Amino acid sequence: MAKKKVLLLGAAGLVAPHITAGLERHFELRLADIQPHPGGREQLHVDIGCYEQVLAAARGMDAIFNFTVNRGHPVLSFTVNVLGAYHVLRAAVELGIRRIVHTGPQSVIGAYQHDFDVDDPPPRPGAGYYGITKHLSNELCRVFARAHDLQIVCFLFNGLRARPEGPIRGEDFPAFTVVWEDLVEACRLAVEADARAIAGGFQILNLHSHQGHGKYLLDKAARVLGFRPLEPVERLYRRRVG
Amino acid sequence: MEVLVTGAASDLGQQLAAVLGREHRVRLFDERQFPVPARADSRQGSLLAAEDVWQAVRGVQAVVHTAVPPAGVPAAGLGREQALLEWYARGTHVLMQACVDAGVRRCVYLSTLELFRAYPDDVYISEQWRPLPPPQMEILGPYLGELVCREFAADYRIGVTVLRLGRLEYEETVAPDAPDLLWLDPRDAAQACALALRADLSQEVHSARRWRVLHICAQHPDGKYLIQRAREIGYAPVHNYAAVWGGERG
Repeated sequence: MAKKKVLLLGAAGLVAPHITAGLERHFELRLADIQPHPGGREQLHVDIGCYEQVLAAARGMDAIFNFTVNRGHPVLSFTVNVLGAYHVLRAAVELGIRRIVHTGPQSVIGAYQHDFDVDDPPPRPGAGYYGITKHLSNELCRVFARAHDLQIVCFLFNGLRARPEGPIRGEDFPAFTVVWEDLVEACRLAVEADARAIAGGFQILNLHSHQGHGKYLLDKAARVLGFRPLEPVERLYRRRVG
Repeated sequence: MEVLVTGAASDLGQQLAAVLGREHRVRLFDERQFPVPARADSRQGSLLAAEDVWQAVRGVQAVVHTAVPPAGVPAAGLGREQALLEWYARGTHVLMQACVDAGVRRCVYLSTLELFRAYPDDVYISEQWRPLPPPQMEILGPYLGELVCREFAADYRIGVTVLRLGRLEYEETVAPDAPDLLWLDPRDAAQACALALRADLSQEVHSARRWRVLHICAQHPDGKYLIQRAREIGYAPVHNYAAVWGGERG
């Protein structure tokens, strides 16, 4: 079966270059970013604040990964995170693309950092540029999914990193952090999931790789997509006993 | 109090200037020129320009954000949607940040009951119902602005009252052959704003209490949009379109 064609927006950012090779095992990617690719990969020059560029980049695609972000700029955070998300959604509607993978920061640690079993509480993004703009983008996704019968999965995380290459002594794994291989797997599941699994057309899912803490749960990601960390990272964080 | 009113050039802004001016010193703010009542102050500037907004906000104790977009927004098409999205999202953020920086304690944000138009007419809509905005920014934008305000009320000592207003139509000039359960006379909208300003929610310890939402429209004999919660702050609409709704009782 032919690979699905997927537009990867934010291809040269802090996240996408680490998962591009993994994603290419499953999808035919079209890379796009406003900045040069750190690995020198060929990509489309796309300013997500320009609708025409987003539309042109998305033409002919089966799905869109939106990994674009601006974290702290008082104007660009709105341009990239809010207006950019709007452009992705509008282009998807115009081109008949139904499946989108959206991304953003977790918005629960601030309010629930002393709690456990935190699965899917109402978000508390705060008034800072990064949190509020991504929160607004999630609401845009929810509204467009409902109005236009899209299927959108939004992955939330706090940190991303490579899986340790060997056992780690005397340290704990940071909470709400996903390793690259698990993010690739989650993206694969999000594109391949049956439309009925994405109830309401929009699902926000926690994503991380360590279930040992019992703090931020992956239960919803498991229910919706069948996601589980490929290889539990907690196995690498073990004391030697005896 | 000294109260800043945004969107002052709009008809609603002018109504607010008149009604709030009876109790408060009013400072009016808009991008375009507008009539300024004798006892009011005025500032001209853009909601998207942080310095303009700071100059408008500093020194006031309360803000009424009408959320009426400026006249310069494109009339239709993609450009209009983009401009409204930026104005409602970033513009509201600029305003709220200035309010926090200036120590403003009371904010009234005027949103819209159009957020509930998608529900069938055989339900009673109260503040407990989930908003269902369509993708059009005329209605989605005010909802996004609500979300921005809510996070400021959660993070800072500022009280925010969201008044979700019905469709503004003067009772005397309303088209009787197209009745709308959302009708609200602008004079009653201004009344609701004046009432909302009386409460200082900013010192509530629990963040959820620094934020409240009230639905504001005319009193229909058996209306879809309930206004009981607004009545608790004294809201009593005067203009209830009795000449139109009289035929629909029961």
